[in-house]
Amino acid sequence: MSLKKILIITTEHASYPAANAVGQGRMGYDANTCIIRVPDPVMFPEDFYIRAFEKGIGGIIIMSSGSDCPYEGAYERLAKRVDRVYAKMQEGGIVPSRLKLTTICSVCRAAFLKEIAEMEKVVAAL
Amino acid sequence: MNANVEGNVPGDVSGRQPKVAVYICHCGGNISDTVDVAAVAAAMAQYPGVAIAREYPFMCSSGGQDLILDDIAKLGVERVVVAACAPSLHELTFRGVLQRAGINPYLYEHVNIREQVSWVHKADHDGATAKAIRLVQAGVEKVLRQAPLSALHAPANRRVAVIGGGPAGLKAALCLAAKGHEAVIIEKAPWLGGKLRDLGKVFPTGAEASETLRKLEELVAAEKRITVHTRAEIDSISGFVGNFTITFNTPDGSSQVTAGAVIVATGFEHYRPHPGEFGYGQAAHVITLPELISLLKDSPPRRLEHHGKEIKSLAMIHCVGSRQVEGVHQPQADGKVNDYCSRVCCSAALYTINRLKDKYPHVRIYDIYRDIRSYGMQHEGYYERASKHGVLFFRHTETDQPIVESSERGHTVKVKDVLTWNEEMEMQVDLLVLVTGMMPSDTKRLTSQLKLSVGADRFLQEVHPKLRPVEMAIEGVFVAGAAQAPMDMTEAIAAGAAAAAKAAILLSEPEIPLKPFVAVVDESRCTGCGDCLAECSYQGTLVMAEVNGRTVAQVNPALCKGCGACVAVCPTRAINVAGWTLDQFEAMVEAIAKA
Repeated sequence: MSLKKILIITTEHASYPAANAVGQGRMGYDANTCIIRVPDPVMFPEDFYIRAFEKGIGGIIIMSSGSDCPYEGAYERLAKRVDRVYAKMQEGGIVPSRLKLTTICSVCRAAFLKEIAEMEKVVAAL
Repeated sequence: MNANVEGNVPGDVSGRQPKVAVYICHCGGNISDTVDVAAVAAAMAQYPGVAIAREYPFMCSSGGQDLILDDIAKLGVERVVVAACAPSLHELTFRGVLQRAGINPYLYEHVNIREQVSWVHKADHDGATAKAIRLVQAGVEKVLRQAPLSALHAPANRRVAVIGGGPAGLKAALCLAAKGHEAVIIEKAPWLGGKLRDLGKVFPTGAEASETLRKLEELVAAEKRITVHTRAEIDSISGFVGNFTITFNTPDGSSQVTAGAVIVATGFEHYRPHPGEFGYGQAAHVITLPELISLLKDSPPRRLEHHGKEIKSLAMIHCVGSRQVEGVHQPQADGKVNDYCSRVCCSAALYTINRLKDKYPHVRIYDIYRDIRSYGMQHEGYYERASKHGVLFFRHTETDQPIVESSERGHTVKVKDVLTWNEEMEMQVDLLVLVTGMMPSDTKRLTSQLKLSVGADRFLQEVHPKLRPVEMAIEGVFVAGAAQAPMDMTEAIAAGAAAAAKAAILLSEPEIPLKPFVAVVDESRCTGCGDCLAECSYQGTLVMAEVNGRTVAQVNPALCKGCGACVAVCPTRAINVAGWTLDQFEAMVEAIAKA
């Protein structure tokens, strides 16, 4: 199974518009990426990530809104959940660097590209 | 809030495969120049659950919309996927098409293959096409699991808060009042008018700015529906479309205003040259164009003076603080240069030159520019007139900036002039005028609290300059005037009227439809464990209640924000955010991984 695909989980209000801003700026990145938009990634349970890896996703970048999150307490809950996902990944022998929690605001074009470039290196090494 | 959510049953496909239609938009080449749209349509035609897959030059056009309507009427299509531009542009358009066809508008999925595919993978046509197929397949999986939803409704407060009392804000308030809306102007300065107060005669009419402002102020003062707060600093803004609360501080204390919509008309600041930039702030007789305009307002006839010195010659240098180049110009506080064009300054400089020449024909004027951009109705005439006045123009490149050496006798300006094949020109002048650009006002608090998009140039970014002008991405918030981009007074006033019209349309009905994406509980699956309650940050949103002899979780949709924190902890997947269910996302991920 090829593990080169990168799943990017974006927030409807911040990182999804950032992905669009990258497009509007005609800034390029690799086509092995797929972006999904959610109200907030806090909705995904730990198993969601594990199942995504099992299905063949190489790397997952969670682009949250961080402290700018419009939902009260959501980022703190998400951060704790991701810690638990790391523990489960370790138990399952999944390289932890295949999951990255980061913060991207609606104008973070350079940071958006940097996160993808870093995850590209991770999946290339798989 | 009158909440009305019906039929939010996650994963309900009624045991029968619904007919899904897929449409791939060319976007007039924006997509089809990179993505093989025919190949995407062909792949989707074979995909399980897809009844029909088509491609079309512009799906958002009436022809594209009619295509969907025809397929719904003739082929019995029940759910629709459109792969096109960003959903912020046309998701609502296509939901409207479904609604017109009598189908629940939420049985629709919008797939972004422009901003997130064709525009970012221009050099990889095969990769872009494969990615588009993956994304559209994921969209089909999502729409197959989509349940019909009904919009929530929020009562609309008909009052509009206008932040900023410059020309754009004043015009917006007047237009709103004319439509019967209350408008509250919140202005941080002690007076209304913004930068208009500092101007003399203004183009294109040649009217005195003070006279224009006086008329606007009189109209505002006479309008009972307009309330003005000056010396008012915004403390906080919260709420949502139909129901915003703005708290601000004045010398009299803290005040609060509620409003159904907000118009941000915070204007601009003149670029302030760095100390020493062309001698500004260090050498005598170096001023900015706004300072020259102020000087001309009060200058006596026949003799132009600056700080007691008679000015017999002056040089203007354009693009100071605009169209800056990394490595050439000193960056701003955020580390970025102002690479945008401030648009207005060329016309303003030429207009001022002509005024000066009319009043002081003996003053020699040298105009040093990179490009003259005298856009606007008849503005080219200002350039022609300045030429006839004998103004000498010199053009330089972006890297060969003019060099200024100042002494007690005046300024020596050296410029490599591309109009004379890079000849080194040198001129002695008494006064140096820097044609400074525009920068956005400090709106950090507003943008942070309202989550407003800001462009790379730091001005507020509307949703789309052509399709949704003056609308911010946050529903109920509009932008007017130079807060959005450099513009002149006539444009700012037009933008103020446009924002007022949009706000008036939004608040024309007593209720505003809201997105129905709130948490819903499948009571048949709920075990009553209560884990979801502990996860919810919004008190009262989730409660445990007895239903048919069982304790189950219940959601108050009026309070739910739809974040989904509760979803992750439900051991039986009984709770989901309507329209964004876990089953949908898992199916999407599977489609992405498989393709």
